[in-house]
Amino acid sequence: MNWGIVRALVSKDLALFFRNRFFSIVTVLGLVFYLIFYFVMPSSVDESLAIGFYAPEILPAIEEAFQEGVEEGLKVTFTVTEEALKEGVIGGDFITGIVLPADTAEALISGERPVITLYFSSDIPEEAKEAAVVTIRELVYRQVGQELPVEIKQEVLGPDMLGMQVPPRDRLRPLLAVFLIIFETLGLANLISEEVERGTIQALLVTPVRVRDLFISKGIVGITLAFGQAVIFMAIVGGLSREPLLILVTLFLGAALATGIAFLIASLGKDFMSVMAWGMLIFIILAIPAFGVMFPGAVTGWIKIVPSYYLVDTVHRVSNFGAGWLDMWNNLVILLGIDFVLFWVVIQALRRKAG
Amino acid sequence: MAGDAIIAEELSYWYGDLIAVNGISFKVGEGKILGFLGPNGAGKTTTVKMLTGQLKPKGGKATLLGMDVAENVEAVQGDIGVCFETTNLYEKMSAVENLKLFARLFGITDFNPDILLGKVDLAGRGKDRVETYSKGMKQRLMVARSMINSPRVLFLDEPTAGLDPASSEAIRNIILEERERGATVFLTTHDMLEADKLSDQVAFMNQGQIVALDTPLNLKQKYGKRALKAQVSTASGELVDREIILDTPETPQAVQQLFSQENVVTIHSEEATLEDIFINITGRGLIE
Repeated sequence: MNWGIVRALVSKDLALFFRNRFFSIVTVLGLVFYLIFYFVMPSSVDESLAIGFYAPEILPAIEEAFQEGVEEGLKVTFTVTEEALKEGVIGGDFITGIVLPADTAEALISGERPVITLYFSSDIPEEAKEAAVVTIRELVYRQVGQELPVEIKQEVLGPDMLGMQVPPRDRLRPLLAVFLIIFETLGLANLISEEVERGTIQALLVTPVRVRDLFISKGIVGITLAFGQAVIFMAIVGGLSREPLLILVTLFLGAALATGIAFLIASLGKDFMSVMAWGMLIFIILAIPAFGVMFPGAVTGWIKIVPSYYLVDTVHRVSNFGAGWLDMWNNLVILLGIDFVLFWVVIQALRRKAG
Repeated sequence: MAGDAIIAEELSYWYGDLIAVNGISFKVGEGKILGFLGPNGAGKTTTVKMLTGQLKPKGGKATLLGMDVAENVEAVQGDIGVCFETTNLYEKMSAVENLKLFARLFGITDFNPDILLGKVDLAGRGKDRVETYSKGMKQRLMVARSMINSPRVLFLDEPTAGLDPASSEAIRNIILEERERGATVFLTTHDMLEADKLSDQVAFMNQGQIVALDTPLNLKQKYGKRALKAQVSTASGELVDREIILDTPETPQAVQQLFSQENVVTIHSEEATLEDIFINITGRGLIE
């Protein structure tokens, strides 16, 4: 390995990257935009309880109870059908939807225990569910002077996310960090494909430069750009406050993943337009796990076949839930394995293309 | 006595079923210029790629400066310079940056780009980005880049193609200077006059094979014809062309008759060009 050659190639690539007006502007603006976007997002969860209510026949006592609740910050919406209530819950309009059966009054009078159904959306945390149930019982108790003999049945609409209540902007953190990393793939892929398209790679390969020097220098450039931006972003938004070393290792492996993917795009693309076309396609696929964090329940187990899942999941769980090395080691090993396989595949592809 | 800088022995390469280079053999002495001529698709570029270590021969052996190219690619490439036909410079970098980059790749620490830029007449434009250069300037910069490491063997692929006469002449002078310095030059060109003027030896390549290899003079003597071309004035004042083939038993008598019996207005000798000879040997032109 000739490190003098690698240093020369790295300086050249960095100079060329920042002389490409499109990528240099997008790199800087992207970072600034993502930071602004992060900070304008709400930093806390809305603690008011928005409740949907459906009852063919409303008991005066319960109606009065809700009226009292409204004065204490409870938002109650009465729906005309049970389906509309469910849609409101799934759409996030209500933290819970309450269904009171038509025969509630008669059942109570005859000493039976009517069943009240509470609908929750899949990403409602456990404590919020409990809060909703307690609030409803409390309101009714205060209104009628005793605990109603009812049975409360809870039903989750969509897969239950078991209490992942994270402020929106913290959910956004892994998404934006991953976007920054993945976007660098386009710039690097363009650098590589330009080198092949314009024949400069041939000029390099008739000097003492070896193919491995080229790969290493491009790899260093790609990882530096992607890792650097992600670290700057995470540092500014406080993403390094928990387990900083673990986050840095994860971002590094993610940057290596992005670099490997850049090589892959370069081996597929022939010019700027084809690089952009392939790049955007792969960008969208890699971004899906990050959207899964933003919108829990929107994705299922298949997401684990997308390589960026292990990057997103680790950043999310470490920075938002304080997961540690023991929790995340398997993700890191998988990410490392993907990096190795990806690099091997694309090196073979690029060798053939350069030859 | 100088040895051979380039030795090709039964060199072959094929792409699938297509035989690009078919067992060619030749030698180029140190400090000599070989003009490598042939139409597009003749196998010239593949040959150059094998000689410069870009392709590993599928048959035969290439030796440069005493080293087997396939076995010593790194060492060989440290001693050669290659100027490609297609411009492959870093266009968003200046000429100085381009040259300094390649100097670093060759491990040259005390490189002064101004000397080389002056040599190719780009002294005043060294700091401008290459994307602002004309084709001729880019070509001259490519030649300069190929000379960064003072190569012992210089490969030039169509170095004057599409250039204006002044730029072409500048590059030809550089080639001659390189030979004066002791470099061996492997010159691929379509320009027959250029090859004739510069080359110590000329190789004609056709369909993957070398069909002729000799000095330009010997090739002309062997395959070409020399003639006297004259214009004579008739009794009515009309100008008529006359041609006398030289080097035949009838030539002296024909010359004598021309001057004694005709009113000669103009006369000049004409030699066969390398292109004539190539057509004579292969039955096809260089540019098709």
